[in-house]
Amino acid sequence: MKQVSVDIGGTFTDCFLVWDEISLETKALTTHHNLALGFMEALEQACQELGKDIRSVLSQLDSVRYATTLGTNALIERKGPKIGLLTTAGYESQVPLSRGRGYGDGLTPQEQQDLPAGKRPEPIVPIPMIAGIRERIDYKGEVLMPLDEGHLRKQIRHLVDQGAEGIVVGLMNSVINPIHERRVEEIFLEEYPTHMLGAIPIILSHQVAERKGEYVRITSSILDAYLHAQMHYALSSLEMTLKEYGYKKPMSVVHNIGGMAQLNSTHALQTIHSGPTAGVNAAEHLSEDFDVGQLIAMDMGGTSCDIGIVVGGGIRFYDFNPVIDRWLVGIPMLHLGIIGAGGGSIARYDNTLKQIEVGPTSAGSEPGPASFDRGGMDPTVTDADLILGYLDPEYYAEGSIGLKKKRSEFAIREEICEETDISLIDAARQIKKKVDTNMAHTIFKELGVKGYDPKNFTLLAYGGNGPLHCCGIAEVLEIDKVLIPPFAPIFSAVGAGLMNQVNIHEKSVFMNIYDSNTRSLLEDYDRFNDLVAELEMAGKEELMRQDIPETAIQHRLELDMRYGNQLTQTSVISPVNRLSNKTEVLEMAKAFSENYGERFGDGSQQPEAGIRINTIRVVSYVELEQVAFNKPVEGSVEPPKPVSKRECYFVDFEEPVATNVYRSEMIQPGTAIEGPALVESPRATYLIEPGWKLIMGENNSSWIVNEAKIRSKKSLHSGTMKVN
Amino acid sequence: MATEFKNEEELVKKFLNETTLFLGPEPDFMQDHTLASITEREKVAIRNADPSVLSVTRSKMQAGTNESFEMLEQIGAAPGAKWGDLISCLFTAKGDLSIVSSGGVLLFAACVQYGVKYIVKHWLNDPDVGVKPGDIFYYNDARYGGVHNTDQVLIMPYFHEGELIAWISTIVHEGENGAVEPGGMPSAAEQVYDQGLAISPIKIGENYQFYKDIVTFFQNSVREPKLMVVDLKAKLYAALRIEQRVAEAIEEYGVDPVIAVLRKTLDDTVDEVKRRVSQWPDGTVRMMGVADSTLRENCLIKVNLELKKKGDVLTLDFRGSSPEFANRPNNAVTSALKGTLGQLFLSYVWPDLPRNQAVLAPMEVIVDEKSVFNPSFEVPNSQSMMTMWPAFSVTQAALAKFLYNSPEKSTNVIAPWYNMITTCIYGGVTQHGETVGNLCADLNGMSGGARDGMDGEHSIAPLFAPMAEQGEQEQIEEEVPIIQLSRRIMKDNQGFGQYRGGQGYQMFLTQQDSDFFGFMTTTIGSKYPSAHGIFGGYGAPTYPLCKIKGVNVFDVLKNEPEKMAFTTEEIMNNQPLEDATYSTHHTGLQFELAEEGEIYIITQGAGGGYGDVLDRDPNMVMKDVEEDLISQTTANDIYKVFYDPETLVLDWETTEVTRKKEREARKKRGVPFNEFINNWVTEKPAEHLPFYGSWSDRSVVYAGSTEKIMEEGKLKSVMMPNPKDVQISKLEKEIQSLKK
Repeated sequence: MKQVSVDIGGTFTDCFLVWDEISLETKALTTHHNLALGFMEALEQACQELGKDIRSVLSQLDSVRYATTLGTNALIERKGPKIGLLTTAGYESQVPLSRGRGYGDGLTPQEQQDLPAGKRPEPIVPIPMIAGIRERIDYKGEVLMPLDEGHLRKQIRHLVDQGAEGIVVGLMNSVINPIHERRVEEIFLEEYPTHMLGAIPIILSHQVAERKGEYVRITSSILDAYLHAQMHYALSSLEMTLKEYGYKKPMSVVHNIGGMAQLNSTHALQTIHSGPTAGVNAAEHLSEDFDVGQLIAMDMGGTSCDIGIVVGGGIRFYDFNPVIDRWLVGIPMLHLGIIGAGGGSIARYDNTLKQIEVGPTSAGSEPGPASFDRGGMDPTVTDADLILGYLDPEYYAEGSIGLKKKRSEFAIREEICEETDISLIDAARQIKKKVDTNMAHTIFKELGVKGYDPKNFTLLAYGGNGPLHCCGIAEVLEIDKVLIPPFAPIFSAVGAGLMNQVNIHEKSVFMNIYDSNTRSLLEDYDRFNDLVAELEMAGKEELMRQDIPETAIQHRLELDMRYGNQLTQTSVISPVNRLSNKTEVLEMAKAFSENYGERFGDGSQQPEAGIRINTIRVVSYVELEQVAFNKPVEGSVEPPKPVSKRECYFVDFEEPVATNVYRSEMIQPGTAIEGPALVESPRATYLIEPGWKLIMGENNSSWIVNEAKIRSKKSLHSGTMKVN
Repeated sequence: MATEFKNEEELVKKFLNETTLFLGPEPDFMQDHTLASITEREKVAIRNADPSVLSVTRSKMQAGTNESFEMLEQIGAAPGAKWGDLISCLFTAKGDLSIVSSGGVLLFAACVQYGVKYIVKHWLNDPDVGVKPGDIFYYNDARYGGVHNTDQVLIMPYFHEGELIAWISTIVHEGENGAVEPGGMPSAAEQVYDQGLAISPIKIGENYQFYKDIVTFFQNSVREPKLMVVDLKAKLYAALRIEQRVAEAIEEYGVDPVIAVLRKTLDDTVDEVKRRVSQWPDGTVRMMGVADSTLRENCLIKVNLELKKKGDVLTLDFRGSSPEFANRPNNAVTSALKGTLGQLFLSYVWPDLPRNQAVLAPMEVIVDEKSVFNPSFEVPNSQSMMTMWPAFSVTQAALAKFLYNSPEKSTNVIAPWYNMITTCIYGGVTQHGETVGNLCADLNGMSGGARDGMDGEHSIAPLFAPMAEQGEQEQIEEEVPIIQLSRRIMKDNQGFGQYRGGQGYQMFLTQQDSDFFGFMTTTIGSKYPSAHGIFGGYGAPTYPLCKIKGVNVFDVLKNEPEKMAFTTEEIMNNQPLEDATYSTHHTGLQFELAEEGEIYIITQGAGGGYGDVLDRDPNMVMKDVEEDLISQTTANDIYKVFYDPETLVLDWETTEVTRKKEREARKKRGVPFNEFINNWVTEKPAEHLPFYGSWSDRSVVYAGSTEKIMEEGKLKSVMMPNPKDVQISKLEKEIQSLKK
């Protein structure tokens, strides 16, 4: 296998090159003005390590995969074109009003509680750029009011005259009957044909989001239109550069559903958060490769922490209405829980509850923690870590940021010690304990609402602060094994390299599996089967357009089901792909019942209120060859000589503990290091707390295990535990 | 002899205790909003507590209530559950509300302290009822602590090794409850017995299982038996999730930290509230508001407030407000009023404080017996919001005056939020053949008041739940036969000011595909604004209910679409649908069957304005013009801002000159304060006004006319005639006069 996968982030472009048995990681600075430059530099480094020239490598590659935060950044920086919206007359305010919740979407829970002081996010489509068109279709797809074409032409001209550089068409119930949206497109193209200079792209909402919900569908389409031109330009020029250097195949782009597709089968919106979702994808692969079953993927950085959940068995968690930046949208996205906690989280004393609180406010990277000495005056988690002795002021981020301990001391003393009358060390200890506990409880909730118990999971820790806080978080979650993944600094790029080609097609339906009013089971099998066939065909055609042979394509049928008129839409993998009898219908009901029981408690099921399908979803995918990471380590290796000894303070220890400090590059695979210990790498510090042990693996992967806990679990359960 | 007498007294007491006819909510008990006295157990737990352990224990318990809330929102079937009108919470062993989910309606939880305390008082040691692990209690009768009977409450005890240490509750605005009108909030209720199910706090299950006979009885009593059973289970399992998390907290940190957190959170909140109040300047602010109907007839119902601050004590004195209505449902039980005040303080004054009942504990709330805020046991309360929300707004406007001068603010000073539940309550048979009675989530589209330095936001959230939302029309159309033809922000619907309030949207409601379906609306403010402005800002406008009957709009849309209009002013002023009848009404629409295609129009109101309109930045006025939020008339007449209507280029010069002239004209119109008072203030309300409440003297309360006077502290119920009888009588008189 020969492939390159790249994750272009806000600061760094990470590159992961697999060349048969060799795997290489490199990094370059992201070049925002021309992404290809940073991309090629990272690739060049990898080629040099490989000892080959870049043209030769590119011409032999099987694939180039690409994940990016470009769209996210464009959205935050508001660098998109001026968009106009054509919507159903009478519904012009639907987007500005944003269901009410739009004022708070994307804010922290604390900010949401102070919503009266909140402000609607700066709109992407301001009110003057919204024009109503006279038409109406109802929930059944019947035309209530025919499209007034003369009025439509006037409204189109009005928006273009206002300077629209892109048009979104979002009409009521268009997913059930898109006839009016399509006619709007025809008329628009008559007025402004694509072959003319200054042609304006037009996006139809039913083609972007396929489920009911006019607000989320239109918002999805607006974001898509807003990002379209910029993403198209950046990605196309990148593909062109690759072609100039000899790469002959289409470039693949990572999608936020946890799959990938070629550029010509990619909506701009599907690329948002593709980097972090690629990380979850990599975690999914590792859980199989390392045979560890259920995993919590925790990417803890400076500002926030992304949480992904891997439970195996083909089950994936999606957000069907994720919030992107400040916008609720209607496209499925691999679930990522985002916790407002990281190294930059600010600690403060809560005067009411007389306790130390941490986050969600963050000092970010600018001004950053007090110790960065860039003007930040608030004490942060990183400051506490420094005071406790976990961080080397000279070696933080490989020495690129010299930490000033005095600044940390001053900030903690002023903001915490003066209020609480506790010592500096105790304050730092409480900050550490609080942030670990907050993180653990939020993870607990993340899993709890999905019906899982974290005790049965392995914690996969990566990101700048993941290995530093993993033991503390695992303690609270009662997790006894932490895995630091191979190639941790470029884990999202690794995830891109492990992607399968996937697409999702879905359709809103109102279909009773069991109608409690008539006490009857679904009998219209043809309607169900035809809809599934239609969605499978759409998925298949999309993959075949990308040169995938039909025989390699597989489908998974998922159904969003509910009891009665609930809001919840529990997504269930259907046990059958077609219906032909009532036994199969009951199997479907059983699958739903089991899934529901796991999430909300067995016995909470309510089939007596009726069982309904709201969405039929087909996931079409192709399984591609995967890279294996879990190389067995032979024998055990003695730990190297520590580079230093440092006095560290731990939460449950009154006195400081002399702690060995190691450098990661000096630790051989197979080495076991007992905690307390610190392992420093250029991008992260591993804190092995007392009672924990680090076992080094290949490619800088490592296990951090709590053997006492494992023994105690063993004595409780008859099953055996396996530590790789 | 004395001893014998004492024994006799005890004997009588014992006799009376044993022969209680009915364990209803006792008035003294229901008036007490202070915390229960701290127990020795709690004291020991707090004394032994390590602050850092308490902190993480609290975090765990808070996460548990949040998880329960999210779960309940997902699995509940009531529209209220789906769109944010619910909550999950934890109480101390004695029944004080201590930890509440971050999302949801705090007011619900604050009221339930009385329900829990009732169970503690009456059932905990009762040999027949008792309380043991796995018991499930339930109630919905607002007289035991609640807003109205549509909010249904599940309560469970939490025991640790045989010791009762906490109570868990999950609450949902369920809608349908078998009342005289569908949807659970009947405005036609003339007595408590018209309000549907009236469950006092009772045990409805044990060992985590419902009694099937009781569930069947509940289902038998309502129009939506399916909803009843789904949400009973949803509330139970959401409560069990909290139970599980509390158990884990105990396992992880011990039982003492859990007990300590529950109590100490309350005590800490009390201390902090006192500290914050003490920073405000001492003084008294008087404010009044008016509810302009009972939902059955137009009248003026006064909400009177004297807000006094001295030291660290805040006193909210509502004496002088209207007497109770014996046969109208706009009475608010005191617990609901207090819950509302708690909500106000925690959402609009101190959003950073822990959400619990202690915020109100150090304050004094004074209400007259038999007033609309302390009604008798037998008077209905299903539309308590009609007096409770005006009380909210009055208090909000009064608080702004203290907050403006407070050296420390937790959030922005804000003008009153729009305060009415503008939505359609519906009932009938759906296109799927289901009988339903509930309401649309549009009630969550209340507009925000203007803030110091910022405009208010349009239709942002209900005043009682920050993140409750309006939902998606495509999904609502699919479930019920309601088609909304227009949901546009209404032009000029604005609380004007230097900073303007947010604007609400109009709703064109009609029904399709049902042979039996109808609407009701339950808001006030069609004659007298229901939300105030502050510091010179305007209040909300007034809103009528508009009806277009005798036409099927779907025929018009299909055959003569060019006739359709999508704004209230166009369709009501131009009356483009021929053969239709157009009418306007106050917004207390009793349940009314609607023919397919008939249109009902209501409007979400505006938040109050802040500051003088002449101080509004002309550029901000122009932005509103560009966004079609205001007309040229409003820009010119109210804001004195002038511009070229073709290019929308601001005419600075004319604007400045006109504003200057207006300021001069104001000075000329102005009179000395005493002169104004002498000319303006009358001794009594005008004879023709059906006015309820005190006028200039709080001790004299009027009850509908200047002749019907009550004394403060000795109020009596007011009985209203049936509006239909009034109408009949009027018509009969007309017939008689015609005959003559």
